[in-house]
Amino acid sequence: MSAGPMSAPRPHDAGRLVYDGVGFAYPGTEHPHAPALSGVDLAIAAGEMVLVIGGSGSGKSTLLRCANGLVPHSSGGRFSGSVLVGGRSTRAHKPRELADLVGFVHQDPEAQFVVDHVETDLAFVLENLGTDARSMRRRVEEVLDALAIAHLRDRSPATLSGGERQRCAIAGALASAPALLVLDEPTSQLDPQGADDVLAALTRLNADLGTTIVLAEHRLERAAPLADRAVLVADGTIAATGAPGAVLAGYDGAPPVTHLGRLLGWDPLPLTVREARARAAGEPQHPAPPAPPPHAPGRSLLRARGLGVAVDGHRVLDRLDLDIAEGEVVALLGRNGSGKTTLLRTLAGLLAPATGSVEHAATTRVAYVPQDPNSLLFAPTVADELGATLRLLGRRDPAAIEVWLERLDLLTTRDRHPRSLSGGERQRVAIAAVAVGGADVLLLDEPTRGMDAASRTALEAAIREHAGRGGVVVLATHDVELAARAASRAVVIGDRDLVADGPARDVLAGSLFAPQVLRVLPPFLTVAEVARSLSAAASGQS
Amino acid sequence: MVSARVPADPVAGDPVIAELVVPRAPASDRPVLHAATWIVWAAAAVVSVQLAPNVLYASVVLLVAVLVVETHGRRTGLARAFPVFLALGASFGLLRVVLTVATTHGLGTPLATVPDFTLPRLLGGFTVGGTIERQVLWQALADALVIVVVIAVFGAWNAVVSHHEVLQSTPRAFHELGLVVTIALAFVPSTLAALRTSREADRARTGGVVVRRGRLVRHAVPVLESGMERAVALAESMDARGFGHRPAGRGERVAAVGTLGGLLGLGGAFVALVGGAQLAAAISGGIGLVLLLTAVTSASSAARRVRYRPRRLSALDAAVMAAVVMAPLGLVVLHAIGDESLRWAPTGTGLPPFHPLVVLSLLALSVPAAIRSATP
Repeated sequence: MSAGPMSAPRPHDAGRLVYDGVGFAYPGTEHPHAPALSGVDLAIAAGEMVLVIGGSGSGKSTLLRCANGLVPHSSGGRFSGSVLVGGRSTRAHKPRELADLVGFVHQDPEAQFVVDHVETDLAFVLENLGTDARSMRRRVEEVLDALAIAHLRDRSPATLSGGERQRCAIAGALASAPALLVLDEPTSQLDPQGADDVLAALTRLNADLGTTIVLAEHRLERAAPLADRAVLVADGTIAATGAPGAVLAGYDGAPPVTHLGRLLGWDPLPLTVREARARAAGEPQHPAPPAPPPHAPGRSLLRARGLGVAVDGHRVLDRLDLDIAEGEVVALLGRNGSGKTTLLRTLAGLLAPATGSVEHAATTRVAYVPQDPNSLLFAPTVADELGATLRLLGRRDPAAIEVWLERLDLLTTRDRHPRSLSGGERQRVAIAAVAVGGADVLLLDEPTRGMDAASRTALEAAIREHAGRGGVVVLATHDVELAARAASRAVVIGDRDLVADGPARDVLAGSLFAPQVLRVLPPFLTVAEVARSLSAAASGQS
Repeated sequence: MVSARVPADPVAGDPVIAELVVPRAPASDRPVLHAATWIVWAAAAVVSVQLAPNVLYASVVLLVAVLVVETHGRRTGLARAFPVFLALGASFGLLRVVLTVATTHGLGTPLATVPDFTLPRLLGGFTVGGTIERQVLWQALADALVIVVVIAVFGAWNAVVSHHEVLQSTPRAFHELGLVVTIALAFVPSTLAALRTSREADRARTGGVVVRRGRLVRHAVPVLESGMERAVALAESMDARGFGHRPAGRGERVAAVGTLGGLLGLGGAFVALVGGAQLAAAISGGIGLVLLLTAVTSASSAARRVRYRPRRLSALDAAVMAAVVMAPLGLVVLHAIGDESLRWAPTGTGLPPFHPLVVLSLLALSVPAAIRSATP
């Protein structure tokens, strides 16, 4: 009986990953001159923790999928160059033949579970590799401890929270003791606490076991400070690589504190709140942000009274009161499973309240964009997807389609199949497809999931414009930075009830997960506010 | 619009912070009973309803199935699909009632008459429609209830069992096939959930305006495309986790040849039986069976897969199995001593007969529910 892959001594550079002149185009690519990857040369040393960044559709996921041969063995397509992992070529070895060397974690952890029992699922890779029973047992116990999930061993993945599920997925990839762990946006679906847990676990693996870690991320506030190196991917090429601070210096998706440092001319640029605070201690006091114009309470568009909602027999919301007036952008905050989605679905009339009521005028239309944009998309092109909504409403308005394509930065994708787009792009298509119908109240569930900085900026502008025209936007989100930039009001849900409700500045100021700028330069919420304040001060002096 | 609950102090006693850091209580989704115990329970329940198809007794088995789901139902998608199995059973039952009353005539009191037509001889040559008769209707309803109960028991079994444990209990030769079946089963609830989400998204898109035209495409395309994407992602994940890591060895090749030969042998036996050559059928069938057994044995011994912590039967499992088999055994004994209440031909006028000993036997099927109640 084989002792399995873990008993064999492994060379110290088993976690080394080398891309040499890698080019790749997916099958059926319409433009062979615009490949997914082109001329990629990159060497990642064993034991490094590397952060891969870049815009939606830049080629990050393709780059990652090359690491264990999913590209090209699973994807098909035209592949050139070579990828060597621990000295093995991914051309000659299929993903299953690299399973002892590379652990791969998908963006959606649900896609990764094969068995409906956490402990047994961890052993799946070991069973496949022919590991003997004793080594398997020991390894599973070690992985349970390494990811701090021993208490979840008898659970079904379907019953876990997002953060727990992601840690279990990472444990499943780690069970074979891979020298290289590759993760595609592991925190994109998690609340702040869940994201912290996952990143802490990765840091521990890297520091204690020397596992090489390569992860792609959009939300860099937490991940950037942990990496040894950042790699910026743009248009399928490596645009920059180096220390995270240096690479992020000119990157739009950098954490807010880095943008703040750029604005204030700090050198070196901070990556963490701690670094930024230390730097800000010597800064002169900036004038307080101009008070927002007094918000005249508009006409109430949506009202919940004594709302109680049960899902699968469990009470998720109880005796909740909420009034939303025209012109408001409301951020719904709360941990995974707190009831944000349930509240949105109830406000949209998709769930019947167990108690209380949801009221709005008969002329007020309430539309909802679900968390998973795939449940909405059915048309062959992006433009058709928007046109479909108008057809359903009995309208023909090509101008409205153009307006929303432009607002959400989708003009270049108008003729593409929605399913061929990246996750962030699909999210924008779904929002545009709903918003084009002209609903007064837009309910958006985790709208920035998987979105890059440019997309988030476009979305925020569209949200403000909708509210500015007297509409209402309610965002259920984990992204406190989005709440800080876009919301006029924040509502925190916890344990079936509203925990806090008020102006976004007041509510966010009282939270452990306050936006970065607020923690560095209170009472400023965003970099834009600091910029406006500086500009006002400068014009006052002149 | 600031509510009184906005925290003034961002650190001490902050309800926001308290809400965000309270950990979840650990729990277990591991079934209390072994998969083999649940297989025995389901088999005992199905045999019992076949032995005692009286509507009263069939209803008792149905209630036991519901009770077992209530007490042992897992928090997985298939467990939540129990009502779907019930609906499926009711649909099959209804179909059977319609077919029976529309094609069975001359056995009872006419209730109503509907238009009739006679099928061509090639399709059986019987009459569909005509008189609907009371006794036929009641008997069809009673038979349909048995179908509903059998499907409900299957649904209950799916709701309480760990499919992976079932997979671990199968011979190693069937592991990969079993894994495929297990994964395919897991797609049933996720597809139902995707369909629900797709319908919701369609309504939400228009702000509640319901448009029926083209609805099928709008609902089906996202479900099919998402299902396909999920299947591809799962296949990639399995590949990345070493599934099919080792190439087929000599034993697997022998098993493949043996399976092919076995199936040919059994097919030959069928052809011989149709042709009336009973000796040739026996020889061919015998060879086919031997080859199939050889293939399974060869594949099992060639499989180098080591199973992770296969669960063993506990004393509790043995006790529950012993208890639930008492139900069909008791019914066999009652049948042997001539209990006439087991089978009842409904006429629509009288109530079904009842024997306390039969109900007592059937209640043995509810022992797992009692075990669950006693377990904290």
